[in-house]
Amino acid sequence: MKKILEVKNLSKYFETTNVKANSDVNLTLSRGEIHAIIGENGAGKTTLMNMLYGLVSPDSGTIIINDNEVQITHPNDAIKLGIGMVHQHFKLVPSYSVAENISLGMEPVKNKFFIDKNLEIQNIKNLSESMGLEIQPESLIKNLSVGMQQRVEILKVLYRNAEILIFDEPTAVLTPQEVKELLNVLKNLSEKGKTILFITHKLGEVMQLADTVTVMRLGKVVGTRSINNTNTKELASMMVGRDIEFSRKLNPNETGEEILDVKNIMVLNEVGVPAVKGVSFKVNKNQIVGIAGVSGNGQTELVEAIVGMKNIEFGELIFEGKNINKSNVGKRRDLGISHIPEDRIQTGLNMQANIEDNLILSQYSSDQFSRFGILLKSEMQKFSREVIQKFSVASASPGGGVSMLSGGNMQKVVLGRELFGNPKLIIANQPTRGLDVGSIEFVHETLLSYRDAGSGILLVSVELEEIINLSDIVVVMFDGLVSGIVNPDNVSIEEIGLLMAGEKINPENLIKQG
Amino acid sequence: MLDVLDAFNIDLIRAGIRLGTPILLAALAGALCNRAGILNLALEGKMLMGAFLGIYLTYVVGNTYLGIILAILLGGLVGGIFALFYLKYEVNLILLALAFNLLALEITVYFMRTLFGNVGSWTDASIQRLPEINLFNTSSSDGFLNIFNNHNLIVYISWVIVVISYIILFKTPIGRHVRSIGENQEAAETLGINVAKVQVIVLIVAGMLCALAGAFLSVGHMTMFTRNISNGRGWRGVAAAIFGFQHPIGVFLASLFFGTADALSLRIQSVSDYPPSLVKLIPQFSTIFALTIVGLRAKFIVNFAKAKFRRSLNNQNNS
Amino acid sequence: MGNQNRKRLIRQFTIPLLAIICGLLLAAVLLLLADKSPSAAIQSIFRDAFSCSSFNNCNLFTTFSLATPLLLTGLSAVVAFRSGIFSIGQEGQMMLGAITAAYLGYWVSLPDNVHSIVIAIGAIIVGGIYGWFAGWLKIRLGINEIISTIILSEIIINFPFQNFIKIPFFARIENSAKFLVFAPGSKFGTGFVIAVSAVVLVYIYLWKSGKGYEQRMSGEAPRFAFFGGIKSEKAALRGMFISGGLAGLAGAIEVMGVHYRINQGFNLMNLGFDGLSVAILGLVHPIGVFIVGIFLAGIRMGAQLGLQFELGIPRELGGTIIGFMILFVAAEKLFQKLFDINLKELFRKKKNA
Repeated sequence: MKKILEVKNLSKYFETTNVKANSDVNLTLSRGEIHAIIGENGAGKTTLMNMLYGLVSPDSGTIIINDNEVQITHPNDAIKLGIGMVHQHFKLVPSYSVAENISLGMEPVKNKFFIDKNLEIQNIKNLSESMGLEIQPESLIKNLSVGMQQRVEILKVLYRNAEILIFDEPTAVLTPQEVKELLNVLKNLSEKGKTILFITHKLGEVMQLADTVTVMRLGKVVGTRSINNTNTKELASMMVGRDIEFSRKLNPNETGEEILDVKNIMVLNEVGVPAVKGVSFKVNKNQIVGIAGVSGNGQTELVEAIVGMKNIEFGELIFEGKNINKSNVGKRRDLGISHIPEDRIQTGLNMQANIEDNLILSQYSSDQFSRFGILLKSEMQKFSREVIQKFSVASASPGGGVSMLSGGNMQKVVLGRELFGNPKLIIANQPTRGLDVGSIEFVHETLLSYRDAGSGILLVSVELEEIINLSDIVVVMFDGLVSGIVNPDNVSIEEIGLLMAGEKINPENLIKQG
Repeated sequence: MLDVLDAFNIDLIRAGIRLGTPILLAALAGALCNRAGILNLALEGKMLMGAFLGIYLTYVVGNTYLGIILAILLGGLVGGIFALFYLKYEVNLILLALAFNLLALEITVYFMRTLFGNVGSWTDASIQRLPEINLFNTSSSDGFLNIFNNHNLIVYISWVIVVISYIILFKTPIGRHVRSIGENQEAAETLGINVAKVQVIVLIVAGMLCALAGAFLSVGHMTMFTRNISNGRGWRGVAAAIFGFQHPIGVFLASLFFGTADALSLRIQSVSDYPPSLVKLIPQFSTIFALTIVGLRAKFIVNFAKAKFRRSLNNQNNS
Repeated sequence: MGNQNRKRLIRQFTIPLLAIICGLLLAAVLLLLADKSPSAAIQSIFRDAFSCSSFNNCNLFTTFSLATPLLLTGLSAVVAFRSGIFSIGQEGQMMLGAITAAYLGYWVSLPDNVHSIVIAIGAIIVGGIYGWFAGWLKIRLGINEIISTIILSEIIINFPFQNFIKIPFFARIENSAKFLVFAPGSKFGTGFVIAVSAVVLVYIYLWKSGKGYEQRMSGEAPRFAFFGGIKSEKAALRGMFISGGLAGLAGAIEVMGVHYRINQGFNLMNLGFDGLSVAILGLVHPIGVFIVGIFLAGIRMGAQLGLQFELGIPRELGGTIIGFMILFVAAEKLFQKLFDINLKELFRKKKNA
């Protein structure tokens, strides 16, 4: 089979996040192949795709297409070379028709000025027939189902003569029925000679759809397998890595009483589609419960529902024995729930304000900081200084701005505020994202100390190492559901990897929470 | 109250057309910008500038047509400068627009007074206004056709612009690109459409349209410039663009509506005791009303979808 | 204070300063084009704005009384902007306040000081409700507040109130409703004192009170506020009520302290938008509003007296200067980019040295 794409020693280092996203990546595609790239968060899949599509330039390495070495510096280059990207979040104009969306930017003209609408429709009809992708060219996008909209995106790249189609998490938004249809579409395209490359974290799909699979981890290619020669177990263990040194410390405390009971809750995402489809678990005092899983499986919505930033459509949230479904964010904070958000810049901090203003966010109306509605500046300053000292926020003063601080110090400000007053339940969402080693350690130690002091902690993270090192119980989320609850001491890392990728493991290893 | 109806006659509609023309041109500019994803609030200031430049340049070159064309070109230049500030230097367009409106108000009067003496308004005998055009060659002053006949040249030009706008927006590639930017800029960008270039063109055209609107005020119908001659018509243009759903035909009808309300308020004093200012405010009330409807509709759609989902959930659980 | 903060503050102050300088420079160019002397013009403006020859003949006092509505409408804009709502409807709110004052001043009889206090409160409430309404339209219905506040303003200014209630046009309000004037000959009196107090109160509210904190956070970082449990919508509506109230108060003071009556077609056109200018040039801060408000009043005053009468320069130059200044503030990012580049160059040189 003819080699159509070859990637040799591709590397990319991002200065802003201090991360080597791709290290010496090698990849070979043959014409007509369906190739999956699988990996956890931070594996480097997205960066690789972005380099192939010209959204990011590689630092070193070569890309060879049809035996010619090429430079791809802009999506237009990629399109000219026959590479098309089908994005995860569709980029369609809702009020336009299918045909109008597909030919946007290269409309056929007649009489020099006017769009030839008949020719346009005819073109799309021809294309859809020859590719075996049924569609009505004149339907409006806003009236189409998600699966159909994706089909339009596929037609968009085919219309521009793409020979290599890159799919970014193609089934993230599809119903099971639509996934089946997509499978047929991809097989069809492959038969017609198109090459398919798709990124995913779902092992099930890989086994169903792909001919070949490449596993990536931490920017490197772990291995490439033909589907016939491998299985989910092997792939899962490649995904999570065998050679991690875990430093699990024993939790010296006795598990305290139950503090949070999440009962079969359902939460919608921004567009009204269920992101959390029925999740149940419990958190106790003196305990850390870790939520593992690749990002995008409902963790964000789950956290927002627990803290009150999103409504719970179904199910119950019980805190200290009381149903808090209807309590708003402020009420929940008063009850003792703290939240370390995954986005410290937009959500966790006010970049335009100083440290003081940031620190009193949840406490400004308390007796300690205000009297008759007037803020007590001296108390605020005192508190700020305490936090700065206790958390070693370097080179900071209460009146100083937050925007100038390093990532680690910003997170310390967030911690200082959220951990004030010994909260009963701490929700920590990606608390060490983007931090340096020293800060990561600091955050971990701080969380552990609060656990020892009696708090219950819900730790959500895409870093499996972090979850396993800190958690007493691990809840694995996949596709909006809990794929398994396990005790990290009793399961292998491969099994957790399987759960994260949507596969089942030996039921005896699962914990049942009644 | 019925005596109000006495005011409705052909003359009213003719006046409505005339009064609505500057609003129409400004609204077309606003609608075009909105379609391209730009909220252009400087219509009032650009109109005022066009009014002053129109009459001044006409005076200087001695020819009305040339004067207006020069004013239009300068209006386009201003639009281009706006584009430069907005796209290259990321200036806050709202602040820029408000500042520009304020500046235009004062600086036009400043120049008028510096050049022509300490006057409240200015005109000159040498300035010729634009002619009316007897399109349909009728001599009778009644009849349906008379509504559309004998209007100022610029009125007819504005109608032509409406038609051209419609054709360009909906039948040509560039029109489709403009509309796609306003609806989903990413869709346009990822397909290689040069968003910045399109927005520059749109802002230049908008500047030109507003300048023409202003020129109509100063040398179209009468020949005179006074302080704040635009008197809020630019803002009514913003409202008419919204009211007309950013569509050339809708904007045309909206401007006609606004202009007729203006005309009615002038006439109504002679036929009834009904307060003219209330009539004059009909466009404003209508715009608030229209905005409210649009807002309610958006809310309704969201709530409807959520309720539908919850109902289906209940059905699932009960079955 | 940290080194970085000092830099931030310096940068914040240089922008309006540069704007003022550039505005004056551009004005100087205009003057030169018209064959007039810029230095004479500037001197004349400042002399006539801020001079004071005797207690009864004090231009500074007139400037202060001119500044009163500017301060209040400027504060109105500050409170609104800090809540994240770009309300520019101060004119309409002012008008409502003026009408309320005229009505209550003429038709209602109350003992001396009580009368004016009642009127002031009435004006604040009426203006506040109108401001609140615009905020409600934005929050509940998503209506763009710039467009809605302008249209609502236009509605009030042109509304034939006299057809519905008996507005006492041209009639003087009762003496008990008038505000005290310190120096006859100018209208400098209680009104100015109220305006200055408002500056202080707004500052205390926004930076020293819990409710004001809620507003600032909601305006600066809405998601942060939501995350922290602040009810942003309530805070924003509260801010709009205060904003409308301040503008309403400005209108009432015009009636009670300056004109003592309301005229048909009471034109507050400029004053409303001037308040905006003051707020923007004053960096949306009460202290900035105070400084810029008096400065602006001075320019207008000086332009009217000095330029027009003495030098024959149209008084619109004053407005033009102000317009340019705001244009430059609006183009702040432009300055920032230029300035940032220079700063970085400086740093690089220092490092290598």
